[in-house]
Amino acid sequence: MERIVHGMSPGEAIETLRKADGYYVTNTARDLSQSDYKNRILLHTDLLAAPAREAAGFFSLEITGGASIHVDMLRKQVDPFLKLELLRERMPKTMFQTLCRGINLFGYRPYPQNVIRMVVSEYAKYVDVWRVFDFLNHVPNMVAVFEEVQKAGKILEPAVCFSTGPEHTDDFYVKKVGEILDVTGREIVLCIKNHGGLGTPKRIGDLVSAILQKYPDLVIHYHGHNTDGNDVGRITAAVQAGARIVDASDHAFSGFYGPPSILTAVNTLTEYGYKAIGLSEEAVIETSEALRNERQYYEYFESQFKGFDPTVQIHKLPGGAAGSSFEQATKGGFLDKMPTILHDELPKVQKELGNYWSVTPGSQILWTTAVANVQAGDRYSTPSGDLKNLLLGKYGPFPFYQPADWIYEKIFGPNWKETLEKEGGMDEIADMDIEQERRDLAEKLGYEPTEQQLVNYLQHPNDAVAFFKFEEKFGRVYVLPPAIFLRRGGFKLGEMLKFRDHEGKEHVVEVGPMQSDESGTAHVYLNVDHSERRYEFEPEVSESAGGAAKAVQLSKKEIEELAAAGDYRAPFGANVCEVSVKVGDEVKAGDQLLVLEAMKMQTPIKSEVDGKVEKVAVKVGDAVKAGGELVEVNS
Amino acid sequence: MKKKILVANRGEIALRLIRAIQELGHAAVAVYETPDNEALHIRTADEAVWLGDGPRSDYLNIDKVIKAAKKTGACAIHPGYGFLAENPDFAKACEDNGIIFIGPPSDVIQALGDKVTARRIMQEAGIPLVPGTSSLAPGDAGVAEAVEFCNTHGYPVMLKATAGGGGRGIRRIDDEKQLKAEIPVARAEAKAAFGNDAVFLERLVLTPKHIEVQVIADKEGTTVHLGSRDCSIQRRNQKLIEIAPSLIPDQALVDKICETAVQAAKAAKYFNAGTVEFLVDKDWNFYFMEINTRVQVEHTVTEMVTGIDIVRTQIKLALGKKLAFCQDDVQVRGYAIEVRVNAEDPQNNFMPEGGKTVSVYRSPGGYGVRLDGFAYQGYTIPEVYDSLLVKLTVHGFSWNETVDRLRRCLNNFVIVGPKTTIPFYLRVIDDPDFKGGDFNTSFLDTHDYLLEYEDFTTEGNKLAHLIAEIHYRQQNPYAV
Repeated sequence: MERIVHGMSPGEAIETLRKADGYYVTNTARDLSQSDYKNRILLHTDLLAAPAREAAGFFSLEITGGASIHVDMLRKQVDPFLKLELLRERMPKTMFQTLCRGINLFGYRPYPQNVIRMVVSEYAKYVDVWRVFDFLNHVPNMVAVFEEVQKAGKILEPAVCFSTGPEHTDDFYVKKVGEILDVTGREIVLCIKNHGGLGTPKRIGDLVSAILQKYPDLVIHYHGHNTDGNDVGRITAAVQAGARIVDASDHAFSGFYGPPSILTAVNTLTEYGYKAIGLSEEAVIETSEALRNERQYYEYFESQFKGFDPTVQIHKLPGGAAGSSFEQATKGGFLDKMPTILHDELPKVQKELGNYWSVTPGSQILWTTAVANVQAGDRYSTPSGDLKNLLLGKYGPFPFYQPADWIYEKIFGPNWKETLEKEGGMDEIADMDIEQERRDLAEKLGYEPTEQQLVNYLQHPNDAVAFFKFEEKFGRVYVLPPAIFLRRGGFKLGEMLKFRDHEGKEHVVEVGPMQSDESGTAHVYLNVDHSERRYEFEPEVSESAGGAAKAVQLSKKEIEELAAAGDYRAPFGANVCEVSVKVGDEVKAGDQLLVLEAMKMQTPIKSEVDGKVEKVAVKVGDAVKAGGELVEVNS
Repeated sequence: MKKKILVANRGEIALRLIRAIQELGHAAVAVYETPDNEALHIRTADEAVWLGDGPRSDYLNIDKVIKAAKKTGACAIHPGYGFLAENPDFAKACEDNGIIFIGPPSDVIQALGDKVTARRIMQEAGIPLVPGTSSLAPGDAGVAEAVEFCNTHGYPVMLKATAGGGGRGIRRIDDEKQLKAEIPVARAEAKAAFGNDAVFLERLVLTPKHIEVQVIADKEGTTVHLGSRDCSIQRRNQKLIEIAPSLIPDQALVDKICETAVQAAKAAKYFNAGTVEFLVDKDWNFYFMEINTRVQVEHTVTEMVTGIDIVRTQIKLALGKKLAFCQDDVQVRGYAIEVRVNAEDPQNNFMPEGGKTVSVYRSPGGYGVRLDGFAYQGYTIPEVYDSLLVKLTVHGFSWNETVDRLRRCLNNFVIVGPKTTIPFYLRVIDDPDFKGGDFNTSFLDTHDYLLEYEDFTTEGNKLAHLIAEIHYRQQNPYAV
């Protein structure tokens, strides 16, 4: 009956797990936030829960990784390293766990080896348990991370992504586990990563048994989502079959798309005679008592579509993607087509594209392809850049079979075989000149960056710089509770806001009047620590007044016709993530003009004509609406 | 007997004078122009007379001011500094109308106001002078005279208006070409500003310290000095920071300068309070510059270190009292520093911030702190007058203590609305040369990087900035 704590060596921890007479629980706070709250649970809230979570005696707290490092900087304006430091201060014993996308790290596409190694070694200073996966279960994509984690002396937890279908047999997964063990050796925890919450309890129980039959001393960590409402069943079956660690979350925040509540699973397993080792049920309850009042502030980020979704077994969208798909459908005006998309097109696309695992970034490819297919009517007629890369094998080989020839022909044209031969396969990604990047960052910031800043910059250059500048301007804002940070509709006149800053000084802000002058400039008056302060704001440029986000009503056909004439318009609402040309450049047909990013997918816009760049209407970071001007090429 | 005394000024000095008048048990009569409708000196005075719409012209209008005094029955007028303070015609008009002018007699003002006459008086009394000319002859003869002077004494020289003062009408000349070009311009400017186109030259003492001595004399000719001041921190000949006593380490030299000041005042048959200004070069030679025949902006620092109320003394002397103290009674204790908190943007070439409303005004307090101001919450700074909002004067036992106190006060000062010179002063007083007393009139030129500061923002203000944005945008734009 031994609690596993921060500071134990991987060997010691794994030996303890092997000998355990019962099972351990991981609190998947990060995955809950990502699946049910668009990753917006603030550090402020996690700090509030920290003492009770520390007392709860988990195997680990999954609190970083996945999309959270990006969202920490982009939407929560918190330094992902500082977050771990502050949590560690309050949680000296609990191991911290991350979710790493192998070669894609904490982002959406492959990084060079030297960047992977630097990022992992820097984060490994804070993270005890490393769950690593690849959406194609392609082991070579994970090797660099494996090596760095082991080098850092942290617990390595390779994952096999799980799905269902005729190819997804026990045999296949047992072999896959063997492939992993060949690379890592036996001193690991193996994760069964069931991001969709797929399969029945029986299916999961059988899988765990099959793996343990081949590798009896392997420690299995079952990770599932409760999208269909039945993950407690799967957890129970996994533990009965011999899994030693299971994932669950705090009930005060449980939703529909994340992991199920800890206590429900624990109570169920108790009845079956399985003990949650080291776990304090009182502390688990106390955590939710501390959190309960906070949930109201996150309401805006919860899925508008409430209720379990057992049809996940058909569409297989993982975690929060299931919830957010409806919102995208609402915003995109295709809610009426959702039954077709989810229940007909998506399963069809999955089969056609090789029945791989629907998880980042592969799940986004499946979803956007299915939506595009239904929207366009003509299937595979508007392939995203990432779909092309998938088909060309840039992410890795297809696990079971290659998509049919007609799809290649549709997307790459009649000479597709030549294209595949010429461009197919994983690219050797050249190492980045990290010292050059460091100098670039120093120039952008105006000071020498820290190693941590560089690490985050290497992964998300634009968003990291924006965050560093935000912090210079607004300070360390994690101290603001969600009631302030996420407030919508403004504050009440005279409202008193109290908070303690990073250094520990108490502040009180009283909200004063807001006035606009003739020029439209707004003046917000606040009484800050008993001193009156005035803050000026310029009104945002309204859409009708022009600007980069100007909406232009153009049909898809019109956009294509304009492009053929050298006037490139955004084919959909997107953010500009790269501009490859400048005014005056000579371009040839096929040259990349710029890259758009929407819903984590990058789409290069290429010139269709030879000519000279006459106009560049956007810059990196701009949001463009469908039909908005991008680049003009005069042929 | 309770008397009425008219205050022929505005702004902080009007309030300063009113306080002294009221402390003496007399009644203060204020005058004002329309742009000063909301000014505090009107509210504080016992009576107020509207002079006209101005701006400035009515404060400068001798007839109107005399009329106001007669109308209210004021027996005396205190002119403060600026406006009519050093105008001999005004002093004369007072004398002619049987009104006591609180200051020296008109002929003394006349003599000392004319720089060339002043130089002659001082030369005769054996006071050390910077080599210079008398008023240049009109036309080409004057130019030739100037060229000859420069050939003898060398460049650079200062071209000054004979009737000028307060740093106005002074220009530096570096060569003959410039000299010839500037004389007519300076003449025209002097004519416009002072009604007198006479100009003269003085050799430029490079990077001098500006040291001045407060003197005070009664009608019997008893003249004492109240110690020295260092006003070297200047921007374009306008003083920004003033210190009492001077930080010259050689006390014997300081004493000599002070005694020379008394001699100079006596030579000019000076009466009432005045200031004798000297330049001290890098070899510790000192030269007489001029006598200011008024109460100075920076008189507060002398009051703090001596404990003598200069304005109160001025009034008592003008009303016929003898000096109540002698030289030995004057003791300088500790240090005082005054900064002029101006509504100006130091980072935009000290552009005045007139027209802006002071939405918050919270001043520091506590031991050793003195404020002479007139702004208040809700006060809109008129665009037509100078930009001085408040003089912050601090007093301390040692130089370091005084600087520490000044820093604390500047940090505690909250003025919202106009930009002020406060953040700039905070940079200046943390400069090692300032702290070490190692500065002269070139300080700002050689320390121009002090202007490169960022707006003083605390973590609380930064976080409040985000709160303001969340409030304005109705949601957090950095979290959507």
